[in-house]
Amino acid sequence: MDFDFSPVIDNWRFFAGGLGITVALSAITAVASLLLGLTIALLRLYGPRWLRILLVFYIDSMRAIPVLVVLVWIYFALPVTTGVTFPPFWAALVALTLHIAAYAAEVTRAGIESVRQGQMRAGLALGMSRAQALRKIILPQAVVRMLPAIGSLLTLIIKDTAIATVIAVPELMHRADTISGQSYQPVSVYTAVVVIYFAILFPVTRGMERLYQRYAHLGRS
Amino acid sequence: MNLHWSIVWESRYALLQGAGMTVMLTVATMALAVPGGIALALMRLSSSRIASKAAAAVVEFFRNLPIILVIYWAFYVMPILLDVQLSPLTTALAALVLNVSSYNAETFRAGINSIRKGQMEAALAMGMSRRQAMLKVVVPQASRRVLPVLASTWVSLFKDTSLVSVISVSELSFVSMQISSHSYRVLEMLTAMAAIYWLMGYPQAKLVDWIYRKYGVKE
Repeated sequence: MDFDFSPVIDNWRFFAGGLGITVALSAITAVASLLLGLTIALLRLYGPRWLRILLVFYIDSMRAIPVLVVLVWIYFALPVTTGVTFPPFWAALVALTLHIAAYAAEVTRAGIESVRQGQMRAGLALGMSRAQALRKIILPQAVVRMLPAIGSLLTLIIKDTAIATVIAVPELMHRADTISGQSYQPVSVYTAVVVIYFAILFPVTRGMERLYQRYAHLGRS
Repeated sequence: MNLHWSIVWESRYALLQGAGMTVMLTVATMALAVPGGIALALMRLSSSRIASKAAAAVVEFFRNLPIILVIYWAFYVMPILLDVQLSPLTTALAALVLNVSSYNAETFRAGINSIRKGQMEAALAMGMSRRQAMLKVVVPQASRRVLPVLASTWVSLFKDTSLVSVISVSELSFVSMQISSHSYRVLEMLTAMAAIYWLMGYPQAKLVDWIYRKYGVKE
């Protein structure tokens, strides 16, 4: 068996472009789903009862359905009902965000609940409003404690963007598929892409672990 | 817009078979990945440096790759590398087992490490062999702690089986997408697919929550 990496080297700009889309999709999804997750977690903890029931249902449903199904449904089925057609990139962004936000909401809720109740009461006793106590006392500690879980979410997001290949988002995975088909060199193309994904994901995993080790003391109380 | 939901009823046998394949893949993968995970965890905890490093490398490698890429890689590269012709189903199983074994290995390692050293030392002091102490003292306690994590992995795996549709293993999502593109009843079939996944996955997610409440480690 011989490895011929020339299809990868000759098309390095094409792969670099795909990598750029993977990174962009991951980054936007990460920001959007963490913000949406925070909102959902706060509404679930402090919102009206009917909304809580609805949100728990949403979170558990997203935990039950594969991300592929959400992706395919939004890209192929949603246009049939609403007439709104998303371009592949935006469909992937919406689907991934809806899916990951449910997990982010659970992570955030666990983080907030891990801070003892007495801290909120102490904040209120000092004359802070609920929102102030949350923002100035609870959340800063919760965020530090959430770092390991956010780290796994980040790796999960980067890995899940590869699934966007099924709706032809031209990210790294999809471009690998294209070049592998054109060059008839699947072995070298996929092996190269394995190396690229590992080279992105491993530092992210390790980096988040380091970050937590460095700041863990700030979350203790 | 006119919808024809009858297509879902007409395809009920195909959908049922697909759902059966999804369940079969989940069960078979887990059945292989639990021993696989234990083997990797024991290698990693063993005193042999080479075994330990090798296990760590395998675990880190597969935990840091998108599973869909592992599936493609197994489909295109494994037959050439190993010089064997594998069916899509075997390929899918191999890819899923490699992925889940790595996650399980970390779960088991964490479970065993979470049992305080004093327990092993106490068992040794009572005259047990290392093996006896492991099997009678450490493993029974560790298995209780490991159970909730294994349950979460189970649900993730159940969902991840949908990805083997890319190498045309006829599980639920592949079957649904096939029918949806042949019949042009896209909304109906894809909604049915989501509903079936939901019906199967929702109780599992709830069960995981229950297992966490019952067996989860409380500090």
